[in-house]
Amino acid sequence: MQNKKVLSNVLFYVMVVAIALIVLFPFLWMLSSSFKTQVDIISWPPKFFFAPTLQNYQKVFGEQDFLKYFMNSTIIGVFSVGLSLLLGLPAAYTIARFTQTRLAVFILLARLMPGISFLMPWYIVFSRLNLMDSYVALILSHMLIALPIVVWIMSTYFATIPREMEESAMVDGATRQYAFLKIILPLSGPGIITATTLSFIFSWNNFMFSQVLSMEKTKTLPIAVYNFVSYAEVDWGGVMAAAVAIMAPAIVLTMIFQKYVVKGLTMGAVKG
Amino acid sequence: MSSVVLKNVVKQFGSVAAVDNLSIEIQDKEFAVLVGSSGCGKTTALRMIAGLETVSSGQIYIGDTLVNDLAPKDRDIAMVFQNYALYPHMNVRDNMGFGLKIRQLTKEEIDTRVEEAADILGIRDLLDRKPKELSGGQRQRVAVGRAIVRKPKVFLFDEPLSNLDAKLRVAMRAEISKLHRRLEATIIYVTHDQVEAMTMADRIFIMNKGVLQQTGVPLEVYAHPVNRFVAGFIGSPGMNFIDVTLIVENGVMFIDAGDFRLKVPQAFRADLEAYVGRPVVLGVRPEDIAAHDPATSPGGDGNVLKACADVVETLGSELFVYLTSGTHSLVARMAVPERLLQVGQALEVILKLSKIHIFDKETSRTIV
Repeated sequence: MQNKKVLSNVLFYVMVVAIALIVLFPFLWMLSSSFKTQVDIISWPPKFFFAPTLQNYQKVFGEQDFLKYFMNSTIIGVFSVGLSLLLGLPAAYTIARFTQTRLAVFILLARLMPGISFLMPWYIVFSRLNLMDSYVALILSHMLIALPIVVWIMSTYFATIPREMEESAMVDGATRQYAFLKIILPLSGPGIITATTLSFIFSWNNFMFSQVLSMEKTKTLPIAVYNFVSYAEVDWGGVMAAAVAIMAPAIVLTMIFQKYVVKGLTMGAVKG
Repeated sequence: MSSVVLKNVVKQFGSVAAVDNLSIEIQDKEFAVLVGSSGCGKTTALRMIAGLETVSSGQIYIGDTLVNDLAPKDRDIAMVFQNYALYPHMNVRDNMGFGLKIRQLTKEEIDTRVEEAADILGIRDLLDRKPKELSGGQRQRVAVGRAIVRKPKVFLFDEPLSNLDAKLRVAMRAEISKLHRRLEATIIYVTHDQVEAMTMADRIFIMNKGVLQQTGVPLEVYAHPVNRFVAGFIGSPGMNFIDVTLIVENGVMFIDAGDFRLKVPQAFRADLEAYVGRPVVLGVRPEDIAAHDPATSPGGDGNVLKACADVVETLGSELFVYLTSGTHSLVARMAVPERLLQVGQALEVILKLSKIHIFDKETSRTIV
């Protein structure tokens, strides 16, 4: 009996490690390469032990205007997510409470269509409006991803909050809008944090929209990584170091907020 | 305080009428109980009064005001929900003061009123707790407290006791009745529990399938149900129903149940004459069946049945005896005899013929 338990424990951890290795290997490869010289990176067989160097990071933060790209990504991420919350939260609430399934499917459809199919029309529209390489164009395009995420996560979240919550507030003298702001939103913290984190990371990592719609002024981080790729050669060390620098905020964000995402706030609201 | 009047109110959900042509008048300061089994439309009716559900047709008046198109917030009502619907992110004080804060009362006034209500309900020491730190009974009190601080025209209760355990329910029942007398408030109370309805109501409104069946003070409804549904719904254990026919032999009218015959009391004859030979339903309340002891009570005026006790439930003060008489099953409610009844024991029971009810089998309406 005891042996069986030990065996199943061992098996469990072997599987966990195996899966973790598969998932983490590219990340670890990237991390180690960012500390290697170009020679070490392309050497065969791969070098697992090497003399670490910081020259790639010096290149990223020294030669490239990384801070500017960082700011661009932040501005575009914050505004696209912020606007998506502003529009998406009331929309999600309406979908949840008034069972607007058709509207919900329509919003999902925008998400399901390949993003690239939007790019051509956008390119034409934004060029005619003189909005190429502007924050407006990038924020709007990133909202194509952020808004459906907000609407879909939040409409299912709102649906879990008992209707009686706002009904009670409305009988108490609140308008539906006031009940939404004072009762429903404060109870939706975990859902909002989940939606915000996910849509921000999507925006942060987005390459395709930014590649087409941004130029020097609004260049975002993922595009900046591309600076290390030239016609003649790829500066793998620089690419890896830049990629690590880009991933860091996303990882930190996820680590901070995951506990909020899990926490359920509605406990004690109703019997159960 | 205010009266509440519903005139021909209908609520359609698709092709289904959840509430069908409901007309009721609830007096000022009255404790009105809407009772019926689940799905009978009582909660929908209450929600229409609250403004949480639109009215398909008909009018609802609170006081003299037609409220059909008023938002819930403008109706000056308070509602206690079945699941309490306390705001989990606010403490008890803020929960109770929420409605007052919206009405922009001063902080001092809100505190005074909240504490006053808390004193009435005995929850003063809970004011700084969050709902999740409260027991079911305490949450219930907070929900009631949130309603009474507002001093609204009408209180609406939607099955407020159904989530409590049996003992607490009995205690809260009495407390809500007391509260009603103290506040002199108009209360509309919805429940599926006929015991709550009987014990608390000034007047009962019994609904079935969206239609109002009967209105009246509890004892009147109990003694004179207008149809078979009401007769079966009110009272626990429920009324016994037996399919019978009326026959006349040698000028004497009998109720013929196949296995036994009962002599119809003279007082009922006139009303029953038209039903002779037609199928009717005999209704007998459990307490109108008593054990027959030939030595002490002669009886025998055509109202003694031979029966067998199948199940005996001992409640302490009384017995529920499940009997079989021929092919018919009956429940009797008896005082605890000196020698307890045994399961399987044969006994004779006597029906109080003056208390029987006869229903038309086709229309279910009460004949006598």
